[in-house]
Amino acid sequence: MTTLLHRRHTAEQLNELIESAPKSLVALNDDHRRSLSARFRGVASNEHRRVDAWSVERAGQPSTPFRWGPNTARRTIGNAALRRVAFRPELLICDAVHFEIDDLLLRAVSGSARAGSLGHWLSCLNHPALALVSAEAMNWATQLMEAAQGLSYPWLIPASDAYYDVATARTTLRGRRDLVVERDASRVIIRLRAGAPGKSAGPGLRSDMTIDALANADGIAPARFIGLWPEAGVLLSVDGTMSDLRAGARDLVRTAVVQRRTRLAIAA
Amino acid sequence: MTLLLPSSPLNVVDALRGDRTARPLADMTSASGLRAQLEDGIYEIIGKSNPASPLIVRASSLRQPGATTDLSFLAIGRIRGVLINQLLRLHCVGEHVDHAFEEAVDAWRAEAGANELLNRLEQMDDDERARLATDVTAHSVTLLRSLGPLPSRWMPRSTVRATQRLAAGNVVLRDVIDLMMGMNNAHSACVVLLDVTTSPLDEAAERTMRYHALVETLRTSIVPLRTSAFSTATGELWSTGVDHELLTRSYDEVLDVIDQLWKSQ
Repeated sequence: MTTLLHRRHTAEQLNELIESAPKSLVALNDDHRRSLSARFRGVASNEHRRVDAWSVERAGQPSTPFRWGPNTARRTIGNAALRRVAFRPELLICDAVHFEIDDLLLRAVSGSARAGSLGHWLSCLNHPALALVSAEAMNWATQLMEAAQGLSYPWLIPASDAYYDVATARTTLRGRRDLVVERDASRVIIRLRAGAPGKSAGPGLRSDMTIDALANADGIAPARFIGLWPEAGVLLSVDGTMSDLRAGARDLVRTAVVQRRTRLAIAA
Repeated sequence: MTLLLPSSPLNVVDALRGDRTARPLADMTSASGLRAQLEDGIYEIIGKSNPASPLIVRASSLRQPGATTDLSFLAIGRIRGVLINQLLRLHCVGEHVDHAFEEAVDAWRAEAGANELLNRLEQMDDDERARLATDVTAHSVTLLRSLGPLPSRWMPRSTVRATQRLAAGNVVLRDVIDLMMGMNNAHSACVVLLDVTTSPLDEAAERTMRYHALVETLRTSIVPLRTSAFSTATGELWSTGVDHELLTRSYDEVLDVIDQLWKSQ
């Protein structure tokens, strides 16, 4: 049986969700990894496949091609800015966002940013558009900081999302994570989301959690994975149990199957 | 020709900040009661029936249905409103605005991509465009002079969205707050909401202020300190502390709107 808890978003409720996360930790072993790899191999693909919680939530249906915009850039810049603030608490969010954008622009100017990267896109923007990106990133970082500052446990902003390349299946899984909360020997992951949760929010969280467990060197799953929707004031969480991890893995494979069917239909 | 005073007689940020020593404690208990009241009120209106599509309440739903309106003027008014909002967003991150109209249009293009209003702007002839540019410039001067620099320590955020689902998702309250300052982690109430409008302030602006406070309370479960409205047309600022009475008035207004929406379905 899978888990899905719904709470109103307050600092108390968030701390309570972290506190009440399962104490026993679940780990994925080599057999689990081999089994997942076999299932993905069973879904033939001519090209490298990328699956994430977003594609799971959309049930594998194709979405509009990704393009950088203030809305898509805000998470990367906002998280990086908050990471700066965590290292240098005297820094204001506004300044941290500006420093982050300056760094990205510097990378683009020095030729280190590849075409299509965030830095490259930023370098093509005019001043008002850059300011708008800053405004969006500030909103994101402030929401995340508001959540983080209310936590009673140590937290950190991960340097990157969780990536797992499924061996011999030409498949990369990407699990998004915004805050990692350390609780004793376990970890609770928080993911910040825009808008309001839909019906597929639970499977999305489970997929993110499964990918995070797969990306962990020891295969240890987070004790709990919390989705935070500040715009709706809602918290949803799934537990790091074996049944939730299995459900997450099943959803990832199903998504790959639907993606393949859709591609075949388009090709036909 | 537009004549401007050398400085604005009013500093909006100072007015919003108010007396720091007189701030009330953060009210974390009213939200659950208001939510329950709203759920009960909605149940009395729609009962157990499921509307074909959710009833969506927005700040604009609280405005009085106007008399006959020229649609072309309406579009220009909306474009002006969007452009002033873009300038507010730029000001919020400390961007110095030299050419208000051009910079606002650039920011809007970056944010929205192609849309109906933007197409309308592109289709304007030179004369119409120049008129709009002058209008936007005048409004922006009022806005930027009255606001003054926004202190970064107040964590100014622009275009903050909120969505609240009620009655099992049959009713959705949607809101966008133009400017929000302060954070909810303090013991005392310190979040301030500001609605910026290009129209003169009227009763509808009051209802919008109350609606912002209600939705923010439901969203965060904490009652904000102050809700305000600023008109770039007149330079007027209306600001009021948020208390239970104000939230209850907004609750009544929201139920009226839901009743109208339900009857019109």
